[in-house]
Amino acid sequence: MSVVRRFRPENRLAKLMAAPGGVSIADALQQASVELESVRESCMSALDEKLNALTTLNATTVTRERDEQMYLLSNEIFGESGAFGLEELSAVAHSLCTMLDANADCLPTRPAIIRVHIEAMRALRHPDMAGDKAARAAVLAGLRGLTARHAQPIDDLDDEPST
Amino acid sequence: MSELDPKARINLSKAIVLIVETTSHAAEMLGQILKGFGVAETHRCVSATEAEKLLRTRTFDLILVDPDVKEGDGYALLRNLRSSMVEPNCFAPIILMSGHARVSKVKLARDTGANFFVSKPIAPNILLERILWVARDKRPYVEAGKYIGPDRRFKFEGPPPDSDGRRSSDLKDPLGEASDPNMSQNEIDGLMKPQRVMI
Repeated sequence: MSVVRRFRPENRLAKLMAAPGGVSIADALQQASVELESVRESCMSALDEKLNALTTLNATTVTRERDEQMYLLSNEIFGESGAFGLEELSAVAHSLCTMLDANADCLPTRPAIIRVHIEAMRALRHPDMAGDKAARAAVLAGLRGLTARHAQPIDDLDDEPST
Repeated sequence: MSELDPKARINLSKAIVLIVETTSHAAEMLGQILKGFGVAETHRCVSATEAEKLLRTRTFDLILVDPDVKEGDGYALLRNLRSSMVEPNCFAPIILMSGHARVSKVKLARDTGANFFVSKPIAPNILLERILWVARDKRPYVEAGKYIGPDRRFKFEGPPPDSDGRRSSDLKDPLGEASDPNMSQNEIDGLMKPQRVMI
């Protein structure tokens, strides 16, 4: 049986945050949105570069390393597009991550599904799609149906920690 | 998770935050959000190696880490930081910001010693909620085997069935029926002693 030691280190963040002064939460959130918006353009350019990189990688021979690179790129697209409110693009990128994380040997249709995801993301970045919410929703609904047939559920946490 | 009170105040003007992200753009986005919150100083890295160097030389009040950081492994970075016992950084609040949850990494993430997990995409209100949460977190830290970090049990639901429990505060006997009359509302209110709290 392992020895368990419990202790309470100083929480310096709590002390700093409670100091007099500062800003209201409403002002902090508003200012954060303004600051985030100031980097939108450069982040969107980077996002399009990642989409190009994904397309290029998908045209190469399937290897574990290639899939890992594609997974990381897709994960970046998921996080970065979602932070700017590109919900459908973010959701498709997340779906692609699920597909790339699944066991490749069990999915004969995997290459085709990956290709469809990348094409869907490129379509969602097309300027004509920006104002067409119904079309974006249709793209997402189709992909969700496709992925649901293949993705594996996350295992339950069956061994809860005792500390 | 409670909703944010828009009128409550926060003061991050002296906080120093480390951002460990997968890309410079992701780090920049987080940095901008923190700037909006009034954070005085942010240090941004896109590799575990860079982060390790900074953690050896600077003191941080909050650490935000994406586990998929390049040149290393964000999970290992956090575990090594906690087990280094080099104060104060080893006890700094850590928020793990995970994108897609890999099936193989779920348990690993739980055991890194992070204080909280945030699922990407990061929105300013979600990040601020989590920062407030880790600032208010009252859980003790635990060193047990290879794990060092906040107690991973958020809820205490009593000792396991058919055991007396291991905590000194675990009740050994069943509570049974109440023998005294219920307390009045005034008596209960008197016990609470509500106080105004500045955040």
